[in-house]
Amino acid sequence: MAQNRSVSITGFGIVSAIGVGKQETLDSLLSNRTGIGRLKYLKTVHTEFPVGEVKLSDEEMERILGIAPGTPATRTALMGMLALHEALSDACLGRGDLLQAAFLNGTTVGGMDKSEQYYTDFIENDTRNEYIKSHDCGSCSEMTADRFGRFRYITTISTACSSAANAIALGGDMIRAGRADIVVAGGSECITKFHLNGFNSLMILDRELCRPFDVTRAGLNLGEGAAYLVLESDESVRKRGVKPIALLSGYGNACDAYHQTASSPDGEGAYLAMSRALADAGLAPADIDYVNAHGTGTPNNDVSESQAMIRLFGENMPPVSSVKSMTGHTTSASGSVEAAICILALRNGFVPVNYGWTNPMDDGIVPNMELKPSCRLRNILCNAFGFGGNDSSLILTATD
Amino acid sequence: MEEMILKLKQEIIEVLNLEDITPEDIDNDAPLFGEGLGLDSIDALELIVLMEKNYGIKLQDPAKGKEIFKSINVMAEYIQKNRTR
Amino acid sequence: MLQESRVNVLSVKQISIQKPLTEEWMTNPEIHTENFVRAIDPDFRQFISAGDARRLGKLLKRALATSLSALHEGGITNPDAIITGTGFGSVESTELFLEAMIRDGEQMLKPTWFMQSTHNTASSLIAIHTQSYGYNSTYTQKGLSFECALYDAWLQFGLGRISSALVGGHDEMTPEFAGFMRKAGHLLEGEICSEAAVSALLSTREQEGTKALCTVAGVEVLDSPDAETLDHAVRSMIAGNIPDAVLTGMSGNATNDGYYHFLKKTLPEVPLLRYKHLFGVNFSSSAIAFYAAANCLGKGFIPPVLTLTGESVSCSKGILLINAVEGRHYSVILLKPLCGKL
Repeated sequence: MAQNRSVSITGFGIVSAIGVGKQETLDSLLSNRTGIGRLKYLKTVHTEFPVGEVKLSDEEMERILGIAPGTPATRTALMGMLALHEALSDACLGRGDLLQAAFLNGTTVGGMDKSEQYYTDFIENDTRNEYIKSHDCGSCSEMTADRFGRFRYITTISTACSSAANAIALGGDMIRAGRADIVVAGGSECITKFHLNGFNSLMILDRELCRPFDVTRAGLNLGEGAAYLVLESDESVRKRGVKPIALLSGYGNACDAYHQTASSPDGEGAYLAMSRALADAGLAPADIDYVNAHGTGTPNNDVSESQAMIRLFGENMPPVSSVKSMTGHTTSASGSVEAAICILALRNGFVPVNYGWTNPMDDGIVPNMELKPSCRLRNILCNAFGFGGNDSSLILTATD
Repeated sequence: MEEMILKLKQEIIEVLNLEDITPEDIDNDAPLFGEGLGLDSIDALELIVLMEKNYGIKLQDPAKGKEIFKSINVMAEYIQKNRTR
Repeated sequence: MLQESRVNVLSVKQISIQKPLTEEWMTNPEIHTENFVRAIDPDFRQFISAGDARRLGKLLKRALATSLSALHEGGITNPDAIITGTGFGSVESTELFLEAMIRDGEQMLKPTWFMQSTHNTASSLIAIHTQSYGYNSTYTQKGLSFECALYDAWLQFGLGRISSALVGGHDEMTPEFAGFMRKAGHLLEGEICSEAAVSALLSTREQEGTKALCTVAGVEVLDSPDAETLDHAVRSMIAGNIPDAVLTGMSGNATNDGYYHFLKKTLPEVPLLRYKHLFGVNFSSSAIAFYAAANCLGKGFIPPVLTLTGESVSCSKGILLINAVEGRHYSVILLKPLCGKL
């Protein structure tokens, strides 16, 4: 039956504030090193906000990718290309393999980093028309994918902070339904003035390093990044003779249906997303060895998500941590950036630490503060909760 | 003060797009949030922007908004005391 | 992919540059000659209270009104899934926020504009308004956004996860963005830049007291197919059963229209239809096509306004919908009439 078809993960790539590529990312996680600091690349007046920027300028990324200077490229697409390159190499996929594959990309800002820079030119002259073309989200996905070849199906999901998680879930569905044998899914998002100012207008940014699940938490730090997972059917794995590095064993999607920018006090949407993911994977809460929380560090999210986890796990809470005090909140990409981090945890036997946490909440979970090296993780639950109550959870499982 | 209160009500109606409401409909002592006018957290943020734009009062902590926006009278008094414009 | 139960279209509602929430355009269409035309809005107060409407821009009001209307007619309160497609999202709010940000040096910005500008606001608004906790997603793939949303719904039905879905396609325009569309080549000379909001209610269950309009027999979306792949996609979709007509996106845009004429080779004798001369062009045009075809099947005839010959075509076998975007992306959808019980 379609529902029971296995979804293997055969490769992945990642770029974020804590590293360009899997190795750097792993080193940062094991050294407990944050990538959040003072704004360096984005030109904005709001330098008071700590951010998790990818430590490369657009020009540096273009040089690494071999893109000729002057070629229209948006930062979101450039980061996406770096991560996609690594994912495809990791899974040994060549141009020809992509013709029957799908590319599912999560992004909400698209090409806004250039649009906000050139907006006046868009109106007044014709010098930047190529960037009008790259403004929308779909064009951003195409710009990212086209560099590597032509896919059979490309789509873009924009569900705010759960975009990349939903892209991965859709990939799982396409494979289970027999609509594709290879799907590359994830997301990319760069920091823009638009959403830095947007989040500031909602007054949910912290002027200090964020502290997820800490009683003194005061908001989130924005981050940026990209990550893609290569998902494959069993037939494709056998045919290509590749080895899965993990399994996507389940996922769940729910709507909190409460408010456009706040989560419900009892975390109903979060609870439903996590429960549905467990049911989908045929697992019980007791089977989860680690929860990678959404954990943004806002007063609202952390209490709402805590309530949902307490409802789900009760007395038997597995280790929980948020990596957002290291990577920053990578918004649309967070679902795949953190799924990639979960795969690193599965493969290297450690539990990511909730960097910067000190004081327990009255009504929240107490996060994991020990790496637990050489531990054996089997099933990881990875949460991504977006504005508008778009809540999604993924379950990543170790291969035998 | 009465003139200022009328102006404030008109500004609130405009900024929050309360199409069907007139200044006469808003009781000066009635709660603005929860019951009364029934405003919510996003409206509170919009009022914070209004205070900075029209009266030069900058609020860093959104939680302070709860006390200041208790009613029109409370809000007007706060503005009178703290305005820089 | 085999469906265990048929996916029926219970209702589809539109707000566009034709009269809203009616099918009057079939017999008495609005004729537009300007090159940028805004949608004709209904009185939203019949759907949305003033209190709720205060924070909603046009796109959101239209998405909500068409959704509530479709849900009401289809007799469902909480669909199992709410999936939306939008190419540009809430353009007006994006513009307002961006312009204020540039003009006022990134100070004193209105959170409402930012909140509305995130593309998933329509899907969440509908969920909040109807208190629906089910599957919820948003697709932003330019002129294919609606089909991507429909494709996801199709997958969810096929996997047996849902028995109802509200699928929408919503796009709005401002004079500024209409100018951008032309500069970027998304719109060509002769094409009317327009707006559209469409909500379609799909279900695998029979609803008491409601007659469905038609059945969804297949959905396929392809990036850069060669001629052979496209031909194959069309042939497998119709599986030997020639439809009554093909509803195309032809609009005088040579990049896309070329393919539609190529269809005459694959499906000779099958009349081609067009709709963009009535509804204009925007990233949710294909949602309008779905709406138009579903309603034709519901009524059992295709009105002359859609045909190239100016003559009515009967509608008893099905309508094939083909959308070509930038001469690169193609969607193929087959809608069939209901025949007997599920």
